Amino acid sequence: MRYNEKELQALSRQPAEMAAELGMRGPKKGSVVKRRLVKLVVNFLFYFRTDEAEPVGALLLEHCRVTQEEPSGFSISFLEDPERKYHFECCSEEQCQEWMAALRRASYEFMRRSLIFYRNEIQKMTGKDPLEQFGISEEARFQLSGLKA
Amino acid sequence: MRAMKLNERSVAHYALSDSPADHAGFLRTWGGAGTPPTPSGTGRRCWFVLKGNLLFSFESREGRAPLSLVVLEGCTVELAEAPVPEEFAFAIRFDAPGVRPHLLAADGPAAQEAWVKALSRASFGYMRLVVRELESQLRDARHSLDLHRHSSWKAIPSRCKPQASDHWSPDLENGYSLSRDCSPMALVEEGGSRPAGRGLAEWELQGPASLLLGRGQSPVSPETSCFSTLHDWYGQEIMELRRVWLQSAQGSQPECEERDRP
Repeated sequence: MRYNEKELQALSRQPAEMAAELGMRGPKKGSVVKRRLVKLVVNFLFYFRTDEAEPVGALLLEHCRVTQEEPSGFSISFLEDPERKYHFECCSEEQCQEWMAALRRASYEFMRRSLIFYRNEIQKMTGKDPLEQFGISEEARFQLSGLKA
Repeated sequence: MRAMKLNERSVAHYALSDSPADHAGFLRTWGGAGTPPTPSGTGRRCWFVLKGNLLFSFESREGRAPLSLVVLEGCTVELAEAPVPEEFAFAIRFDAPGVRPHLLAADGPAAQEAWVKALSRASFGYMRLVVRELESQLRDARHSLDLHRHSSWKAIPSRCKPQASDHWSPDLENGYSLSRDCSPMALVEEGGSRPAGRGLAEWELQGPASLLLGRGQSPVSPETSCFSTLHDWYGQEIMELRRVWLQSAQGSQPECEERDRP
């Protein structure tokens, strides 16, 4: 799959929702924990060597699961292979909870579902489709039927 | 070998998964980054799928692996001149230095317009903007409803503040369901096609009726309670009314468990 690294690198420089130095270990057997600067930018998690400007890698956070791991860490795995986990170690339980909460809401699909939920709630309460005022009520990305696909 | 790693297998899996595509169709493409130039300059015709903020291309409609990915963040979409006549071209331009635009062309003017619209609204930031606006409108709508209900009561002390809207977030993780409980999202999904909206007048009629039917008075006195407590209490009532409505709409007890998903 071709993609433009420069586009992703530019994205990694955008303001982050969250950023911190965490311990990180990849899914390959025998991987060791390494110190990484980890940045959450829209639905991507970028990770950098702590002294470098360009990311070593990125995770697209769609169809992923965030799981707490003892003692104060969490893991990210993806739908197609739930046993293949990226492990992260935090400085404290509190930091761990903050990261898990942010990552669980990071995906575009979560945002889409939130939008559809709010749209339907408003419509039930007011009788009006709130998206009509923006002229976007017919867009495919905002339809409930998408959830049935 | 690439300098930057991406969870490509997961990205490809997402591209092919059942989650909704926001737009799809055939487009002609010229020399994006990494594409070998076609000898005649006529470009290459590929099947394109827009999912969220990601634009994927495939060899064909039945393609089982994406050929390319464009992440639609930090870019603009503009009409453009095609290298050959009779094409309806547009370009995806990035703000970043050294990134060449992606030049694409649709088969006709309607398709061109549809693609430009869809791609222009694909960014995560756009979706977030709409979500925040709807959150705000939902708060206003609930506030109006609450004010109407107890307009005959004494004024609520102004020191109380409305509760944050966090507790309204649907409890789904990124594509996964957290539990099989009867969550708001499950109820919404089980509603089927979009239900007709309810006017405020309907709520006015049902509110007092439900009180008379013995749901009981507010557990706290309005004179001594802050707004957020009343807000929560009325929220519960609205949830109850919606549940009743969904039951009558379906003619049976709705399934509380969410269906399994691929």
